[in-house]
Amino acid sequence: MSVSNLLENWAEFRHTHPVNDVPHDPYKWAMSIDLDACTGCNACSVACYAENNIPVVGRDKFQHGQVMHWMRIERYWPEDGRDFPDQGATFLPMMCQQCEAAPCETVCPVGATNHTADGLNSQAYNRCVGSRYCSANCPFKVRYFNWYDYPTTENVWPAEMTQQLNPDITLRSKGVMEKCTFCVQRIRAGERAVKNEGRILRDGEVQTACQQVCPSGAITFGNLVDPESKVHQKWKAQRVELNADEQEKDKEEGGTDLRGYRILEELRPYPSVMYMERVRESAI
Amino acid sequence: MIDNNFDRRDFLKVLGWGGAAVALSGCGNTSVEDGKETVVSYVEVAEYVAPGISVYFNSTCAQCDAGCSISGRVREGRVLKLEGNPDSVINRGKMCGLGQAGVQHHYNPDRVREPLLRSGDKGEAITWDKAYTLIAEKLNGVSGDQIDFLTGSISGHTKALLGNYLESLSSKNHFVYEAVSPAVQRAANMKSYGMEMPRFSINKAKVVLSFGADFLGAWVSPVHFSQQYAEFRKGVDGKRGVLVQVESKMTLTGANADRWLAVRPGTEGILAMGIINALGVAGLSMPSNVQEAAKPYDKERVSKDTGVTTESIVKLAAILKERTPSLVLLGSAAEGYAHGSQNAAAINLLNQVLGNVGKTLEASAAVPFPQIAPTMGNTAALRMVNNRLADGQTKVLFTYATNPVFTSPAELKFKENMAKANFRVAFAHYLDETALQADLVLPLDSALEDWGTLVAEYQPEGVQISVQQPLMEKLHPETRGMGDILLALIKQRQPDAYKSFDDYYAYLRTAMLKNKSEFANSGMDDDVFWNGVLSSGIINVGGNLNKLNSKPDSSIKLPAPAEQDAKYPFTLIPSVTANLRDGRHANQPWLQESPDPLTTIVWDSWVEIHPKKAAELGIVEGDIIAVESKNGAINAQAYLFPGIHPDAVSIPLGRGHEAMGRYAKGYGVNPFQILDRVFDEETGELAMHETKVKLSKVGKRVIVVKDEGFAGGAQHGKKIAMTKSSDQVDLSEEV
Amino acid sequence: MHRFIRFSILLMGLFAASSSYSADAALEPLTTADDLGPAIEQPIEFPHNRHAGLRNPNDPSNSDPLKGGMEINCMYCHTYARRGSVAGIPPLQKCIGCHQNIESVRETPRIKKLFEYWEAKKPVPWKKVHDLPDFVRFNHERHIKRFVFQQNRPVQEVCGACHGDVKTMTVARRQKSLAMGWCVSCHEKDHVVAAAGGMPVGSQAYWYSFKKPALNGAGVAVAKGPNDCSSCHY
Repeated sequence: MSVSNLLENWAEFRHTHPVNDVPHDPYKWAMSIDLDACTGCNACSVACYAENNIPVVGRDKFQHGQVMHWMRIERYWPEDGRDFPDQGATFLPMMCQQCEAAPCETVCPVGATNHTADGLNSQAYNRCVGSRYCSANCPFKVRYFNWYDYPTTENVWPAEMTQQLNPDITLRSKGVMEKCTFCVQRIRAGERAVKNEGRILRDGEVQTACQQVCPSGAITFGNLVDPESKVHQKWKAQRVELNADEQEKDKEEGGTDLRGYRILEELRPYPSVMYMERVRESAI
Repeated sequence: MIDNNFDRRDFLKVLGWGGAAVALSGCGNTSVEDGKETVVSYVEVAEYVAPGISVYFNSTCAQCDAGCSISGRVREGRVLKLEGNPDSVINRGKMCGLGQAGVQHHYNPDRVREPLLRSGDKGEAITWDKAYTLIAEKLNGVSGDQIDFLTGSISGHTKALLGNYLESLSSKNHFVYEAVSPAVQRAANMKSYGMEMPRFSINKAKVVLSFGADFLGAWVSPVHFSQQYAEFRKGVDGKRGVLVQVESKMTLTGANADRWLAVRPGTEGILAMGIINALGVAGLSMPSNVQEAAKPYDKERVSKDTGVTTESIVKLAAILKERTPSLVLLGSAAEGYAHGSQNAAAINLLNQVLGNVGKTLEASAAVPFPQIAPTMGNTAALRMVNNRLADGQTKVLFTYATNPVFTSPAELKFKENMAKANFRVAFAHYLDETALQADLVLPLDSALEDWGTLVAEYQPEGVQISVQQPLMEKLHPETRGMGDILLALIKQRQPDAYKSFDDYYAYLRTAMLKNKSEFANSGMDDDVFWNGVLSSGIINVGGNLNKLNSKPDSSIKLPAPAEQDAKYPFTLIPSVTANLRDGRHANQPWLQESPDPLTTIVWDSWVEIHPKKAAELGIVEGDIIAVESKNGAINAQAYLFPGIHPDAVSIPLGRGHEAMGRYAKGYGVNPFQILDRVFDEETGELAMHETKVKLSKVGKRVIVVKDEGFAGGAQHGKKIAMTKSSDQVDLSEEV
Repeated sequence: MHRFIRFSILLMGLFAASSSYSADAALEPLTTADDLGPAIEQPIEFPHNRHAGLRNPNDPSNSDPLKGGMEINCMYCHTYARRGSVAGIPPLQKCIGCHQNIESVRETPRIKKLFEYWEAKKPVPWKKVHDLPDFVRFNHERHIKRFVFQQNRPVQEVCGACHGDVKTMTVARRQKSLAMGWCVSCHEKDHVVAAAGGMPVGSQAYWYSFKKPALNGAGVAVAKGPNDCSSCHY
């Protein structure tokens, strides 16, 4: 470390926004989640536990808000004051939105969370000192802190259960912040594998754990800057742009009949996850 | 010198400044370790196995009986994660949360590791040889009609071997019991369509009207139906499918419905007849006897009986008439009530009137090998076993894949009756409530380390035999696969039988090879065929279609809605959730920590009460409520839930274990215990929603542990989870 | 009064901080002195010099003047290096594969011990010498693919860059610091990205990293290695 290093090269490690000056090339990982297809079954949440070595905290810690599920399913009732929720509930899978202008990245005192060139919000566990400023700043509240040392806590991974742990991802210890990484271990492994063939990843070659398990296929994940990818086509069809804090289509008179939107867009974090509104039949 | 004004606050400020400055200097040391860890290399290994590289093997998930095919990621000789097998027509590469937790079952710290023999209150570990000898001893002199086998649903070659073992014992007493089973539906389907489980095509329907069938959650084959559901929502001819759910307590499928209709418990059949009546009024042509039968069910009467508005009935009839084909599904409306079969007949009649038979409800294929075809469980079997035990007719009881001490209503006194048998053997993975009552507990291999075949009851395309192969070496050296145990037991009785088979694997392989011509080109090399079977994990057999014999039955007699009991004014609806089901997976912590989708509650049970009713009774969230039926009382925390009929309360099944393991024991309460003994009149199945209860506050209040988030599940005007009405959306342009 | 003390403590702290900065020269690779790691005792003292060492006994760079080495390619045994993230210790059958036919050393103490493990079908419990912390993911394959297969450098030079001159050792001993700064110092060098100069194979995308290849003054395409945190820490 030197003073000059601190002053000069620090900015290169943070991706500034907007991106048009440094376009994402060749990857920008993004997701599209169809709320009409999501059934709320929680398979994605359990698959995430399996893939990412997420500890089970138990009832007491859950009660204290010390939950660890990187992917959670939020349930919203329609707020129409009726006796019964007769149009059902809306289930919302919520995980790290990998914001392009992430509010968490700017406030880390030690620079443990940064933006990668392929559009992910990275978390370096060994750098994190546990200030928790990032989770305070996150508007989606998708950052989870290891309040305890779960690898050594009783009944979290007892006896043979340690054999289930995924060796491709770090096992976090106490005092470290963690969150959804879009299964970065799968992305990196996939990128390395295709480098042997001298090419980049094609759509569908890397699937996040949640996308792979979702029985109704509500989650689409892929490379936003690859015109062949489903996620690129979905964003385009829904006229949702990554770099806008207010979409063109929303400024039009009378709105549109498109379903795509991003959550808390008005706070300008430029999330990389697009949600498609749930639909309910009007004829019944 | 420092004067006296230098207090604690100043001291901390100084410390802070100094500390911050030093912290900036960073660190130069590494955490590279030298010679601390050991590298364990292989001794002798196949060429494709390399440290750091995963190999995928296909097998079958055994967490429920849908028979989804899985692909296990194996690294360094251990299975890490399960994915769906894309080649299976049942799950097409997808899985559910319950399936994902299969690894937690396999690696569970509370699995039984060696044969245990009862010695007083404890279990003494013995060898397998001793266990087999003991079984032979205890069976000596016992005639076949005094030996009972109580199992869960069973199929595949394990079923064939079990049948052979029973034959060798001269016993015909194989009882197949499932605490949660669509048994009334099967009987009703048989009467209405000529087959127990026809094929449903939700993706071909324009409207799905489900009477309590939680097909996205825990009904029949949820992973398969979820995929059909996704296609259904994209729409046939660009028109998005419409889902209407009719039930008394909202299930996961109900939460996804375009219209959820809360009905008075038990009146689903009346509603179905009301819809037929309304269809007739709307001009749909139907046989005259059906129209006659539906005449008394005019919309005013139906609305009064069921609580569904006349407007809804008319709208529903209109949309069913206009958008065809539709599909009517039968679920808890059948299983719940003493008149469940009549409900089912009315609901199936609706399907026939709408002309769905042959379009979205089609014939399923017959399994060409009856020995391995699935035998599905029902609750009537438990009554039979219980009666036999109570009368002293059963001397030796074997239990496998079932936990009746946990799932039977306390009124049946199954635990006491079980004690009357001379010798009780439990084939078990855990020391659950039933195993604790046994004299001998034999530990089983988990599904991920065993061989086997599984034929699912619900077959979406042809007949698929799902193959199970070990994804890794046995974790515990003294567990055995059920197939191997059965072979050993058969050889005890008939030493010459199966003597050419060293183990279950050899038996399985030979059995499959014998029928090679059914599955593949008969000229194919044996090894090539067998390796192909193992590598794909499934065998597709064409199978002849059963004959769909649709018989509209207009002689439906539905009882009037039950009067409210003054003493027990509420109907208890024990709910079946996707992750817990009948409680067999309660010791898998991911499932305990996975929030219930409707209430977001974790690790505990709850009583769902409609907010209006709760206000009347002065109940707030977290109040501990004693839910008391004629047969007992259980206490659970109250949860105000708008998705339930005000006359009903709901407690989830699956929690309330007193044994089984560290993640199951002591969490929640068990509604199975307090169920009233009311049975469906036609089939004798336990009517699950006929328990009447009263509520009383115990006087304690707790904080409900749930995952509703900081806003309690409300959006406060922010655009978080948005909904659009179908007339404001254009789905045709979507990718 | 205590305002003065606060200020002076602050100054002392800042002085200490800045002096530790200047102690490390900016961005130069740490010098790699020999014998940085301790000598680790292994269950069998495997002689890398005998197996990988140079053949010619008259060659001054040969470690053992009495017997020649066999110049076995590192990747013959550590075969997983070009296939995955870990180079790995070879399975016991690799050793036995040759040694079952070498009568001349069959009764020596180390080989006898080797066969004891083989008879018992037990793996040799080697101690890990190059042990990066668990939060680092180092991928051998990409480095081998780049430096051995793409740039055609000799294998021992490539492996030796991080593992030292193993052909002069018996059991391996860590020769480099393996600290993050040390790895980064190499990643920040401008490496030639194509063996014969010119733009790399498979278009720029193949060489994805934060810093794209560019032509340097001499018209050769050079690029730096990945410096994205999530390349190694995830």
